[in-house]
Amino acid sequence: MRRLLAVIERDLIKFKRNPVVIGMSILMPILYLVILGNSFQGKLTDLPVAVVNQDTGPYAKRVMDNLRAIQAGPKTFRITNLSSEGEAVNGVKEGKYKAALIIPADFSKRMSLQARPEVGLFLDNPDNISSETIRNLMNAALFSIRSEYVPIRDKTGEVLLRDINLYPKVDYYQSLVPGVIIMAIFLGTLTSGVFNLVMDRFLGIEESYLLTPLTKSHIVSGLVISGLLITTVIAAIITVTSMLLTGIPLSRGLERFFPLFSIVVLTTLCLLSLMFVILGRARHPRIVGIISGFLNVILFFPSGAVYPVESFPGWLKAFAKCNPEVYAVHALKSILFKNAGIASISGDILFLSLFTIVLMTIAILTFKRTL
Amino acid sequence: MQKGKAIVVSDMTKEFGSIVAVDHVGFEVDEGEFFGFLGPNGAGKTTLIRMLTTLLRPTSGKAIVSGCDVSEEPAEVRKRIGVVPQGMTSDLDLTGYENMDLYGRFYGIRGRERKERIRYLLEMMGLTQRANDLVATYSGGMRRRLEVARVLVHRPALLFLDEPTIGLDPQSRRVVWDFLKKLIEGDSMTIFLTTHYMEEAETLCGKVAIIDAGKIIAMGSPSALKADIPGNDIVSLLVGNLSPELVRAIGELPFVHKAIAEENSLRVYVDNGSKNLPVLIDDVRQAGGTILSASVHEQSLEDVFIHHTGKTIREEEVKKVSFLVGAGVPQRFGR
Repeated sequence: MRRLLAVIERDLIKFKRNPVVIGMSILMPILYLVILGNSFQGKLTDLPVAVVNQDTGPYAKRVMDNLRAIQAGPKTFRITNLSSEGEAVNGVKEGKYKAALIIPADFSKRMSLQARPEVGLFLDNPDNISSETIRNLMNAALFSIRSEYVPIRDKTGEVLLRDINLYPKVDYYQSLVPGVIIMAIFLGTLTSGVFNLVMDRFLGIEESYLLTPLTKSHIVSGLVISGLLITTVIAAIITVTSMLLTGIPLSRGLERFFPLFSIVVLTTLCLLSLMFVILGRARHPRIVGIISGFLNVILFFPSGAVYPVESFPGWLKAFAKCNPEVYAVHALKSILFKNAGIASISGDILFLSLFTIVLMTIAILTFKRTL
Repeated sequence: MQKGKAIVVSDMTKEFGSIVAVDHVGFEVDEGEFFGFLGPNGAGKTTLIRMLTTLLRPTSGKAIVSGCDVSEEPAEVRKRIGVVPQGMTSDLDLTGYENMDLYGRFYGIRGRERKERIRYLLEMMGLTQRANDLVATYSGGMRRRLEVARVLVHRPALLFLDEPTIGLDPQSRRVVWDFLKKLIEGDSMTIFLTTHYMEEAETLCGKVAIIDAGKIIAMGSPSALKADIPGNDIVSLLVGNLSPELVRAIGELPFVHKAIAEENSLRVYVDNGSKNLPVLIDDVRQAGGTILSASVHEQSLEDVFIHHTGKTIREEEVKKVSFLVGAGVPQRFGR
């Protein structure tokens, strides 16, 4: 036990002597929240759309009213009125507009004659997400022009969808907080734990530790425990900061302190032991660099932190089943947004615990106590 | 446990792929002995020491260190020995004191005893003033002294040192030597040391094994090893027009044991070199040789190495180094 404590203390002293790493481990996940939050906004807004209205009739007017309503309301697009069809289409080609809507001169006439009225929509289709959104909105705007003046309540035969939110409203930034906490844990486990071992090996210091009576378990668990302490502190700072930044009440974190804390600890242990298994024999910090970039992508993006796991293709869903970050994200979302008790995250806790036990065992067994 | 023997090695071999680094080596070291392994770089000294200190598993053969088999009870061996590896292994991000303190704790040495021991050792190595500075700010010599001090915190009965003074300035080297001598005399330790410095082996070691290309080629006390080579002095002559006939003629002189030529320098093994030097010079001149320079020296371990291998240790080093540079393989990763 004394020896284990000495190994842990050594790592903590060394980490403390490296303030740049401490600063970056805290700053980076927060920057990540800010940058990711602003680059993958939940809803699209301000997409530039050119409209060429060549029709002066009543139906064209209604279409224009509907478009202006979208511009004023959800602000999905910004309309630029143009007179020339060519200018509009070229504008899309040049990337000035995401789409161009052309209402031909005979639109209202064909509408009233019911003679297959047509409206042209030129889309910047390689930009999949924006063109899909614009297409759907335009369809809706055109579909409703006939029923414009009929109040919905009078149409007693139509089904009305009434949506009921089960949980208090969570805005997009808030929904990213679990992901940011996971990111902080990932970075913490990357700069502590097995990384210290790889660095010692690289600097030739490892030899002096292998020569002492320290056992495999002293070395492996010492590094894991020091990594756990460091990462938990970082994750706590990040959790509080990101809750403050996104307006999640801190009281919610305090009320659910115990489940929140256990998920942070378990996720940290999971990632520390995973990295130990993968990097336990690495001799160069460059290998850590390559592996960590890769691990971050394959664990984080399919974790459900940014996109629902349910929409993945089958093979990715299968992978998600063994990805510890999926369970961590699920548990954190339940705790932070759904007022969940321990019971609803017990599956996550079970998975994370088993994962840790299995991987720690592999890490200790595969650790080489010779040069 | 074999009493009285600190190390017993029998028929030990280590292969790295097709390279045989240590080739069927066997020897014994008595308790309280200062034993040296002398040989050029790349001779297998570090590989041997790593096997004896449990860092590498031997391909075949057996070694009993401090009464325990290195392959079967490595943990027990580690508790009993102290090792100063060749590379600098102290932690740069820690202070000198912290390095020693952690080491003491890894060996389970308790509070006050550890503190006092560290203070004493730092004082002995002249590091007290810098004890609380980060090792990153130490000079190479200071770092080496710290590492020698660190390994003694747990009072090992058997100490391994792999090239302990490599790269040290003469002053630091002296400090280490004096300290090691004190350990052998005062603390009745057993010391196993590898070196490629003749002087180090001659000054310190009671017994020396000379190793080349993984094999022990001679073993004994420095004086016994030197006594094995013919004559007691060596005359080195630089001859302008050295011919095989001349070498043969010199070799046949009555007081000459052996004459070896290497380009235009001639090594002559003689009795009583200072007295016979003028006679030898006359004889060379009579045989038609032009002498450019002449010197007499007592036989050293270097001469023992030359006697057994026909090459100097330095030559051997240069060859090894240029081979490694040519192959683009740093020695560390070449294993």
